Amino acid sequence: MRSKYRFLTLLGNLATYAILIGFAYIMLFPFIFMFSTSFKYQKDTFRYPPRLLPREQVTTVVAGYEGEKPLYYVSVGDEKKPYALVETNIKAGVYADPNRPEITYTVPISKVQPSGGAENQKSIIFNGKEEALWDVPIDGKTIPMVLTNQTAVGRFVDPEEPSREAFQNVRLSEPVEKLTIRPQNYKEVTELQGLDRSLSNTALVTILVMVGQLVTSVLGGYALARLRFPGREQIFLIYLGTIMIPFVVLVTPLYQLMVFIGWVDKLASLIIPWIFTAYGTFLMRQFFITIPKEIEEAALIDGASRLQILWTIFIPASVPALATLATFTFLYAWNSFFWPLVIINTGNRANHVLTLALSILRGRAADNANLVMAGAAIAILPPMIIYILAQRFFVESATSSGVKG
Amino acid sequence: MAKPEIDNRTHFLLRLAFVWHIALTIGLLGGIVPLWQAGKMAVWLRLLLTIVMLTGGLASTLAAIFIRRGEHRGRVISLVINYLGFLFCFLGTLHVLGVFLGIDALAETFPRGIPYLGGIFAGYLVSAFGDRYENFPKRQQAFRRAGKIIMGIFGLLFLLAIRTLPGLLALIKRYNSLPPYLLTAGAILFGVMVWVLWRKDSANALKANNAHEEMLNGLLFLSPNLLGFLLFFAAPLLLSFYFSFTNYDATTKVSDWVGLKNYISLLNLTIAPLSSPAQPATEVLNTKIYDELTRITLFGRGFIIGAQDKLFWIALRNTVVFCLLAVPLSVIPALLLANLLNSKLPGMKFFRAIYFLPSVAAVVGVALIWQWLYNAAVGYINYSIVSVINFINNIFGFAIADPQIRWLSDTRTALLAVVIMSAWQWIGFDTVLFLAGMQNISKEIYEAATVDGASKWAQFTKITIPLLAPTTFFVVTTAIINALQLFEQVYVLINTEPPGGPANSTISLVLYLYVKGFQRFQQGYASAVAWVLFVVIFSVTLLQYRRQRGGTYA
Amino acid sequence: MLRKSIWTALSLLLAATLLLTACGPKEAPAPVEEPAATEAPAAATEAPAPAPAEEITIRWRTRPDNQAEIDVYQKASDAIDAKLEGIKLVYEPGGSESSSYQDVLKTEIAAGTAPDVFWIPGTDIADFASRGLILNLNDLAAATEGFSVDDFYPAPMAHLTHNLETGAEGANSGALWGLPRDVSTFVLYLNLDLINEAGAPDPRQLAAEGKWDWEAFKDVATKVRALGPDVYGYGANAWWGPYGVWMNAAGGGFYNADRTACGLDSEGSIAGLAFQRDLYVGDNPVAVPYGEDSEPPFMAGRVAMFQNGRWATPGVRANANFNWDAVELPKGPSGHMGNWLFWGAYVINANTQHPEEAWKLLQELTTAETQGMISELGTNIPSRVSDEAINAFLTFTPPDNNQAFINGLMDMPTAEGPLWAGSWPEFVAVMDPAIASLMTGKTTIDEFKASICAEANKAFK
Repeated sequence: MRSKYRFLTLLGNLATYAILIGFAYIMLFPFIFMFSTSFKYQKDTFRYPPRLLPREQVTTVVAGYEGEKPLYYVSVGDEKKPYALVETNIKAGVYADPNRPEITYTVPISKVQPSGGAENQKSIIFNGKEEALWDVPIDGKTIPMVLTNQTAVGRFVDPEEPSREAFQNVRLSEPVEKLTIRPQNYKEVTELQGLDRSLSNTALVTILVMVGQLVTSVLGGYALARLRFPGREQIFLIYLGTIMIPFVVLVTPLYQLMVFIGWVDKLASLIIPWIFTAYGTFLMRQFFITIPKEIEEAALIDGASRLQILWTIFIPASVPALATLATFTFLYAWNSFFWPLVIINTGNRANHVLTLALSILRGRAADNANLVMAGAAIAILPPMIIYILAQRFFVESATSSGVKG
Repeated sequence: MAKPEIDNRTHFLLRLAFVWHIALTIGLLGGIVPLWQAGKMAVWLRLLLTIVMLTGGLASTLAAIFIRRGEHRGRVISLVINYLGFLFCFLGTLHVLGVFLGIDALAETFPRGIPYLGGIFAGYLVSAFGDRYENFPKRQQAFRRAGKIIMGIFGLLFLLAIRTLPGLLALIKRYNSLPPYLLTAGAILFGVMVWVLWRKDSANALKANNAHEEMLNGLLFLSPNLLGFLLFFAAPLLLSFYFSFTNYDATTKVSDWVGLKNYISLLNLTIAPLSSPAQPATEVLNTKIYDELTRITLFGRGFIIGAQDKLFWIALRNTVVFCLLAVPLSVIPALLLANLLNSKLPGMKFFRAIYFLPSVAAVVGVALIWQWLYNAAVGYINYSIVSVINFINNIFGFAIADPQIRWLSDTRTALLAVVIMSAWQWIGFDTVLFLAGMQNISKEIYEAATVDGASKWAQFTKITIPLLAPTTFFVVTTAIINALQLFEQVYVLINTEPPGGPANSTISLVLYLYVKGFQRFQQGYASAVAWVLFVVIFSVTLLQYRRQRGGTYA
Repeated sequence: MLRKSIWTALSLLLAATLLLTACGPKEAPAPVEEPAATEAPAAATEAPAPAPAEEITIRWRTRPDNQAEIDVYQKASDAIDAKLEGIKLVYEPGGSESSSYQDVLKTEIAAGTAPDVFWIPGTDIADFASRGLILNLNDLAAATEGFSVDDFYPAPMAHLTHNLETGAEGANSGALWGLPRDVSTFVLYLNLDLINEAGAPDPRQLAAEGKWDWEAFKDVATKVRALGPDVYGYGANAWWGPYGVWMNAAGGGFYNADRTACGLDSEGSIAGLAFQRDLYVGDNPVAVPYGEDSEPPFMAGRVAMFQNGRWATPGVRANANFNWDAVELPKGPSGHMGNWLFWGAYVINANTQHPEEAWKLLQELTTAETQGMISELGTNIPSRVSDEAINAFLTFTPPDNNQAFINGLMDMPTAEGPLWAGSWPEFVAVMDPAIASLMTGKTTIDEFKASICAEANKAFK
């Protein structure tokens, strides 16, 4: 009985893990894809079926030919051998033996002679039509055949023995490949779209917004939590009510305000309006309220100023709340897109932030999945690293937005 | 407390404040006349300034009177006026000197400073390392001091690296015209007056008590936040409301009051009966005004619905459909995952961390990744579908055909593609919220249920779900509010021109607003769209607050 | 205690001030390793009193698609800068096609930060002109010796001289909105490997023999499509250019004859759209599905005929590793290929401080010399009509068959036209989604025909 129970529990746990791992795979796969693609060659990104690991085609030097030639697998007899492709787009005919029309041979037209000479070429009735006959060399023998179709092939030679050659369709040939990585993608995308500057801009904007918002939120939160003044409750209610107002309602007039001040296309427009938020103030107020009043009163009697109390008592006690707010602000500032899209001109690259640069990159490097993924990785990695280092605060910033509200 | 002695200095300073306020009143009220005579200036700006100056003048008079009478009210009013004046002049100075615009120049030199920022962080780590030696105060002190010194040195290097000194010189050189001098002088004057009234002796002279001090402190502390909030949030909000009643066009600067016209043409719908299902719209609708939106069948009779602004209704429909799909698709898996994670098995934190990862990434970046996953020819999603189909075909001998879904270019799947991506990104966030909610449910209830022999599933449906209701409600409403603001996902993932393709199948309300406001520059109309969206979101929020107040929500 | 906190506060204040002042514009000698810093706008706002000579700064902008194009325009800008005395040129590369170049420009004009001279596509001229955003250059041109509008292709010039009040067009209309930068036209970029592999006839050969019509085109496409499920006969991107061609070639078009109403439901337009729809969702679809980007599969060697303009040439040169060439579009039922004459023009911001200097720049930008320099890159064809320019263009290979472009320009192309009688953005906002529904099989030809013009006509005044 007991062992059966244990077995069931074990089974249940295994199922739990299976589901959890399955979901973890789904959650992680796009990121894995991003990183692997960001190290690929462009050609590799168009391949079907897709593969995760980056590969490149092996090339070799063949005696008698100029430059590096790509290697493909070619069927020689019963085995597949790596041959080098030396010539493409050779006109070829698809020939069939009139006696056994189900088997066709693809042979370059240059290798084929008219049966009986060009002057009086023989012909045969094939499928109810009169067709010319051609002498087609097959495995050292010459067989008269009819031309059923035309196509093009490539000429492949054995790199060790260039006189050994084979003809087959290039598009359907399997290339010889080796694993590789191409870190230049990162360099190229950085140069293409000026991502280094975008990255430092994003960092600057994020830092200034974070610092600014922490300062105003702490001051405001303290005032709303602890200092009595007329209108405090009303202000608090208004703050609370505006948290849910969507940003889009403000976009148009805020844009006009920026035009008025002259901040359109300037980084100031990404920073200064975002320093004053109802949400941050609200969050800090909620935290400060939980700090016991007694300590504060004692300090007041000792003659400490309010600023000193805030600095020496409240701030040290609310490090987790500050970190939570900081992470929240960090994510918001780092990832914001709509406002930069509206306010920063696409032409002014010096003021681009990462999200904006990425959305432009999407159009400019539409064919280069490898470059686009490298760009995405540059934008996504920093928050990811910080997330891994300070996971707890990220999770807390998520929960504080809701459960404690 | 006895009546405080007023020393001579305070007496003088208070008198000075009185004179200052009289002068300020005269200056402000007298300034109104030249204001209306000055050349180029928008009328609304003149009006606004007049109101500000009038109020300021009157308040200044009151301040002067109350200070003269020795009443504390005077000090409050005076401090408020002078503080605001100081801020105005100070920020004005910065503005005129180009400090705000100079952030762009800072961005240029900032990359050079980044290594030193790293140094500052290293210094912090050193001082934090000292905390390991809590039992050796001396060692701890030494580490802390060393850390501070490192931080200080790197801070200085940072300031040098970002070229503070040349910047300072450039700023000083900007003092080459009247405005910066005037504003600086103003800032100093107002600043001095703030100091005059803020001093303890002046406070005592005007019979300040603790409550007064607390009030002033409160106003002071809240002021940066409140003023910024008013300027960058409340004012635009009101302005947006005003715009929605005008035909404001940002390129031609035309702005005429049109009353409710924007709202009417947005919401104007008509319905007409059809004589046959395929009857052309031109026969039944006034196509000068209305475009065919859709056809419906009611009570066996066909009707045609026309809309004046067809695109708005399409955008509304897409947004609602997105909501109805994306919200359950993110919330339900999140609930199940949270339930699995809420166990004592090892490794749960690890999974939680992974699930949360997508919500850390920028939507733009995520959309770029998914764009390639969705690629019809070489994308992983179609590849997985084909693999699964082949697998099933091989095992069961079916002959299911490859559906060859063109995720992003097919009108039937484009919105679905957006839904799937968004749900993927939101699941982790919702899971974390649910998990936090579940961990608030006391363990005893489960233990009791286990003793009673309730199965895990029964525990989940009978205990977890009911007790989790407040969290669920919160998660759902937040998800709805997020979903209603759908924009970035479509803008980046479905990159068509005009946006919202193919064939308008993914245009959302916010995207429509963007097109109207920032591609066609009909910003008045766009504001009306924004307010319609606001009403929708506000109703959802209201529902949530109602529920929160009435429910068992902590 | 108190003293210490004062010191802390003071040093913090100092640090903050220093940080703030770091924001001050740099006029200190800019570091050598950063050439960008010297031409940063920050330097421009700082009006240096002891400037050696009063140089007027003129900013200008185009919409380049890649770095090579940016470099060429920068080179052209530097050359003109050296030539024009007293004018300092600043070239700003605008965003690419997909980042709404024109919308950004309008935003900047609204904010007063737009450049003095900029390029806009031909379709947008009317919108910009009727909003009063660009300058009428008529008087400046009249005062310029040796300037003649007849030096350029007549079709773009007709639009560029459209008088808003009288509706007159031509040399003496009293209006001149800008000068055309270049012209372009569609060809089919060919993947010869695929065509040969399919054993299909060579379209270049057919064109030379005068047999290159819609049937021949469909035959080639069908044969290539038979090579496999991931190989397509034809590919084009989803915008008005490609689908307009089919309508034009069948004798239809976007508008009626005098361009005052929608012509999308005319017989010719419908015939063209029906043929095109068949390529996408007919019984035997041969085209890359409508809305899918055709460029990546073409570059990957899986599309036989890729319809695009001259601007696509540098990309094909760089990325195609198969045998390729170009051929003109097939002739439709009207007997013409229905091609577009794409063009765009340099115009002058209505708010510029220096209209005369901007006009000088405009003339320099459209000299045969500058145009030759830019078309060498391979993205475009000079807008000046001269045998010399055409002969020079023919030498810019690959593709070997540059004549395909010239043939396109000579076969009565429809000039990409601004919509003077209405709003082009509104028109295209109705047309584009409707065509997308049609080409993806969501609506039928009859449904399209029944409703399209009732909706599209709202874009006219």
